[in-house]
Amino acid sequence: MSAQTSVATAAPSRNGDVLLEAQGVTKRFGGLVAVNAVTFTVPRGAIVSVIGPNGAGKTTFFNMITGIYEPTEGDIIFNGASIAGLKPNQVTASGIGRTFQNIRLFANMTALENVLVGMHTRLRGGLVRTIFKPPSLRREEEEAREKAMVLLDYVGLGRKVAGETSRNLPYGLQRRLEIARALATEPKLLLLDEPTAGMNPQETADLTAFIRKMRSERGLTILLIEHDMKVVMGISERVSVLDHGTKIAEGTPAEVQGNQSVIEAYLGKGGAEADLERMKQEMRRK
Amino acid sequence: MSNPIKAGLAIGIAGGIVIAFFGGLSGILVALIGGAAVGLILSSWEHFEKRDVAVRQSATAGAVAGILMVAGQFIYQFVIVPLSGKTAVSVDAVTFIVALLTFALAVALAVFIGYTSTLEQGRRRVALFGLLALFLVLYPFLDGGMSVLYKTNPSANPFVDQPFINQGLNLNWLGTMITILTFAVLALGLNIVVGYAGLLDLGYAAFFAIGAYTTGLIYSPYISSQVGADWPWLRFVWTFWLVIWIAAAVAAVFGLILGSPTIPLRGDYLAIVTLGFGEIVPIVFRNLTAITLTLPFTNICIVGCGGKPLNFTGGESGVNPIGRPWLPGVAYFQTGDYLPWYFLILAIIALTVFLINRLYQSRLGRAWTALREDELAAAAMGINTTNTKLMAFAMGATFSGFAGAFYGSYIGAIFPSVFDFTVSVIILVMVIFGGLGNMVGVIIGGMIIMMADRLLLPQIAGTLKAIVNTTIVPNIQNPATKEFVSTTVDPLQWRQLLFGLTLVVMMLVRPEGLIPSARRRAELRSEAPAGTEPLSIQEADAGSPLMSVDSDPLDAPSQ
Repeated sequence: MSAQTSVATAAPSRNGDVLLEAQGVTKRFGGLVAVNAVTFTVPRGAIVSVIGPNGAGKTTFFNMITGIYEPTEGDIIFNGASIAGLKPNQVTASGIGRTFQNIRLFANMTALENVLVGMHTRLRGGLVRTIFKPPSLRREEEEAREKAMVLLDYVGLGRKVAGETSRNLPYGLQRRLEIARALATEPKLLLLDEPTAGMNPQETADLTAFIRKMRSERGLTILLIEHDMKVVMGISERVSVLDHGTKIAEGTPAEVQGNQSVIEAYLGKGGAEADLERMKQEMRRK
Repeated sequence: MSNPIKAGLAIGIAGGIVIAFFGGLSGILVALIGGAAVGLILSSWEHFEKRDVAVRQSATAGAVAGILMVAGQFIYQFVIVPLSGKTAVSVDAVTFIVALLTFALAVALAVFIGYTSTLEQGRRRVALFGLLALFLVLYPFLDGGMSVLYKTNPSANPFVDQPFINQGLNLNWLGTMITILTFAVLALGLNIVVGYAGLLDLGYAAFFAIGAYTTGLIYSPYISSQVGADWPWLRFVWTFWLVIWIAAAVAAVFGLILGSPTIPLRGDYLAIVTLGFGEIVPIVFRNLTAITLTLPFTNICIVGCGGKPLNFTGGESGVNPIGRPWLPGVAYFQTGDYLPWYFLILAIIALTVFLINRLYQSRLGRAWTALREDELAAAAMGINTTNTKLMAFAMGATFSGFAGAFYGSYIGAIFPSVFDFTVSVIILVMVIFGGLGNMVGVIIGGMIIMMADRLLLPQIAGTLKAIVNTTIVPNIQNPATKEFVSTTVDPLQWRQLLFGLTLVVMMLVRPEGLIPSARRRAELRSEAPAGTEPLSIQEADAGSPLMSVDSDPLDAPSQ
């Protein structure tokens, strides 16, 4: 609780304080270079997006930050300390929460239990305490439950679905539950891997607004992988573009949008001309 | 066919067969268990909302089962008895009273369980647990009447003249029930590993062996007799109440040791490694018969000196004798007097259930479930998967340590053949049959499997042999055929086959087990599979909006 309220008022600073920094990070799978010497920073309090065509290495990059893969070369600095090579649970404990591209909820646990699992690192265990269950542990569990309920409310699930098995929730709510679970880890940096995938325009707009709200209310820094350009351009302060594992552009959404190599990466060489051609055709039709 | 009829038929046929083989008063016990089973199965099919519907339908199901069970009783009297050449039992008033009682109990139990299914989840669990506890506590008196109280001193028995009060159902199953309940403790322990954490362990008997051998080695004069009086700490006055905890702790430590190499493994690979450990451990115990230990790089001898290697585990003949629990003034643990042993194992089960419940309802229990559901997501939520898996192995092993200590003390001796692969398999079958992840299910399912194995199968074998020998074999002319028939008909030889068959049928008909946990049922009966795909090296989703031609994503913000 205290972490949330104390940082809540901190305004996002555009320059200066860096929360996450990747220094020449490379990942090779045998002969395949999935991510190639990517250097990249996320300022504290910012919303940063990583975009790129399919197979550009975005998720691999994410997986290196979250400890699923160890970088072959380079270092990742989070909040002043290297996290490269840490285990996923250690990364989470250090303050990085994440969601997955394909929803990976604990499908047969209830919504509430999913959020409680997210609190794992923030609760204390101990075998003896677990077995004897002293009042202090009872109180802790009670508080954790209450906190989980508040989180479910916050992401828009409400207390009514707390007891619902998460697989039975509609798709949009599952996405939101995943965010609640990630928030339960009390992250400083929230990694969202295609949070609007499979959502309709209304849901996407709602979620975009919610991401912005989370950043300002909870003092989070948010790093997104996103395919939906409306989302990326609408909420990101900075955008990095990966293609074939290499960072080809970086800057504000407007800068990236006009970048020739970015357009080429997405539409292929000559794509830019084809694009112009199509625009002209559309103008004529109107 | 409607569900009540179906449930009634399924259980009624099974119960009827059991009664047809046992005869006597066994029908009353079968009706109790069968009636409960009917209620449980029916309420899991129907999900009753209204009380009157629940009561009516389960009464129907119970009646169908009851009729079949009564039929079984008459089949025993009119078919089995004459065929197997036993002296015929006359049909008298007792026969009809027993038939009536059998029917009434089947209906009553079915209705009670059906009724509880309309209660709210927590209260239902209390009701089921209460019923099970009541049954287990009263069982000795049901089985053997009041005479079980006077085993050591029959002359003090005031009920000698009243056969029903004195004898109960006169089944003499109490000794076997103790073994069955020991295995129920094992099944509860394995349920942590397989049911909660989702780690398929095919070598669980290894921990049972470790618990039992720990008891054998520290709570028996055996090792002192082997080493002479060299080890004074072994002559220390150990008591069973301490030994059982030591056995559990040693088993837990071995759970950690044997669990640690399996940490990176999943699914079938894990199963293979645990299978290996299950084989290795009894073999090690079988072969630790000639130990000589010297300090490395010196000639200083520590163990097995003077050309007399230490026979540590007694090889095939095992460790014998093992001490008994000692509780003066309350109970005297003696051979042949089963009651104190029975209540001791009940107490161990109660403790096991209590402890496992505490573990499951905790942060650790949630971590186990999360691990089973999705290991990667669990790690990403901050769960240390290595420690969580090791805890599952250690906790599972702890309870097999309890069971091992009790079993060693109860049997009075241990030998390696008690812990072979079939034991691991039977414990696993108990867990799967009862319902992975559900303690009531595991206890009831485990008891049914073990009763079928230890009570029903020998009975069927004996009866079949009698039938074959009295009615079939004398009519066969060819001596070779005669020989073949009389040696082949022995269901005890089909034991493994029947276990396999049970598993296959169970997986096809009711993969979630007899009394499934809500989670398992949701998982196995749900139409839509959970969206958990394995992590790919590269992003592999097709048809993203960026790649389609008719939307122009880079234009989006300027719209």
